[in-house]
Amino acid sequence: MDFIVQGFFQSIRLIISMDEETLNVVMTTLSLTGLSMLFILGIGLPLGFALGYFDFPGKHFFRTVADTLLALPTVVVGLLVYAFISRRGPLGDLELLFTIRGMAIGQVILGLPIVVSYTATAIEGLDNRLRLTLQTLGASGTKLAVTSLWEGRFQILVAALTSYGRIIGEVGSAMMLGGNIKWHTRTITTAITLETGKGDFPLGIALGIILIAISFALNISLSFLRRRVGNS
Amino acid sequence: MGSKIIYEIKNLTHSYGKGPQTLDIDYLKICEGSVTGLVGPNGSGKSTLLRILAFLEPYTGGSLSFEECSDTSADVVDIRKKVTYLLQNSYLLKRSVFENIAYGLRLRNETEDLTERVHDSLERVGLSPKKFAQRPWYRLSGGEVQRVALAARLALHPKVLILDEPTANVDESSALLVKNAAVSAWKEWGTTVIVATHDLAWLTEVSTDIISLYRGRIVGHGTENLVHGPWIRENGSVVRELSDGQKIHALSSGREDHSAVVINPSDISVHRIPSGPVTEMNILKGTVTSMTLERATGCALISVQVGDIVLKSRMTVDKMKEDMISPASEVILTFSPENVRWI
Repeated sequence: MDFIVQGFFQSIRLIISMDEETLNVVMTTLSLTGLSMLFILGIGLPLGFALGYFDFPGKHFFRTVADTLLALPTVVVGLLVYAFISRRGPLGDLELLFTIRGMAIGQVILGLPIVVSYTATAIEGLDNRLRLTLQTLGASGTKLAVTSLWEGRFQILVAALTSYGRIIGEVGSAMMLGGNIKWHTRTITTAITLETGKGDFPLGIALGIILIAISFALNISLSFLRRRVGNS
Repeated sequence: MGSKIIYEIKNLTHSYGKGPQTLDIDYLKICEGSVTGLVGPNGSGKSTLLRILAFLEPYTGGSLSFEECSDTSADVVDIRKKVTYLLQNSYLLKRSVFENIAYGLRLRNETEDLTERVHDSLERVGLSPKKFAQRPWYRLSGGEVQRVALAARLALHPKVLILDEPTANVDESSALLVKNAAVSAWKEWGTTVIVATHDLAWLTEVSTDIISLYRGRIVGHGTENLVHGPWIRENGSVVRELSDGQKIHALSSGREDHSAVVINPSDISVHRIPSGPVTEMNILKGTVTSMTLERATGCALISVQVGDIVLKSRMTVDKMKEDMISPASEVILTFSPENVRWI
């Protein structure tokens, strides 16, 4: 029990002093997840909007696929992407393995279904008077679509935050695709796994506290947004 | 003002999907700068007709021309910028009151005097710009939502303002403000106003034409009396027994389905005390409940409670004064069964 308590106090000292290694791990995590979210939102929002807004043949099938992929196991994603970007894989020449970009591919695959599915749900759940209202005010085409997306902004932000929560906390694909290379591809989750294995609890706990703090901030944002959605 | 035709409908039909026909209108014209009222029971096709006139709902058959242009399908986006529609239960965008009203103006790039136009619209619906402009959408009452939604349409200075039962879900004071604001648009900008409402008293005061709809068909112009069944056959005629035992007699239509009739208010005479022998087959005792001045005809419209229904009679103001008819007067209504028209 003592080692846990001592580890906790040492971790606090580590966070306050924020040594270079811990800072690097945090910054790597933030830049990786930032890059991933850029692609997740860039691809996911239009896809989710199209899935929720338009009626087209196969819509139900695509919706089922998006919903099924919500529970995609991280190690399976790691395995598949690894197979593609390893030297022997079809994308081997791009030298993505053990890079931030390679790790981002895995995270995009993990986070994308959340944004697509939740955005589609948000758009489907918009008040059916919205379209009529916008048309009566003179909106059409792109303006109609963009305003509809904006009307669902709180639900869509919930989708983005949920997706971010999923990718920042995942360890399977980050470990497999990044290789947990110090100063290079080591993220908070892979570092915690390694340091725990080595018995270095203070650093593991320190990183865990930072991760929990980020999750806590996300949850506060989520509950605030849910309240805003509830007001609408 | 009022002579140029803005809408012309010929043989227009509409049905939702493969469902039954909801509208079947042979001919209808609406003049520019007029106030047209649509009346009829729920499900008579008022909202469908309004949505078609607002170019929000495609019709199934026939033709609809707008500003003498019969091929409206190509210009529907442009037409929608001239025609605006207020829903019965309005929806506000999730933004401030100011932004809700400014939305349509921004779409039209009419942003030069944006603040003034937004504030002017708010004042027209009786909302203080200082108090309400920055208020978020969720801090408004039902009546305020409806008034902000109307302000958003008035800010556009529309050519046609279509209102679908705008006062159905709001309190009395909000209803009055909504009605006054709609009339102000008509008076100041010559906006053509088309309104579906159950508020007949207001409609008769302000409208230049009233269209009665029943089961998707126009059954008359003006405040027609619509009397639903049950109609039963009795001694060669068809009668409707009222709750107090009095009967309305109609001629048999020769068909099995006797569901409803219309009686033109001009065909019903009102007497305080019959001056001579009454020869009409329909003689009904009733009480005057309200009297309104009909703007379109200049006549008085007398509403009389007879049993469980209200019948309206049209008479000149002079005759009304001469007979000393006033609210709460006990009167006798007379009309011929020939004037009871099956629909």
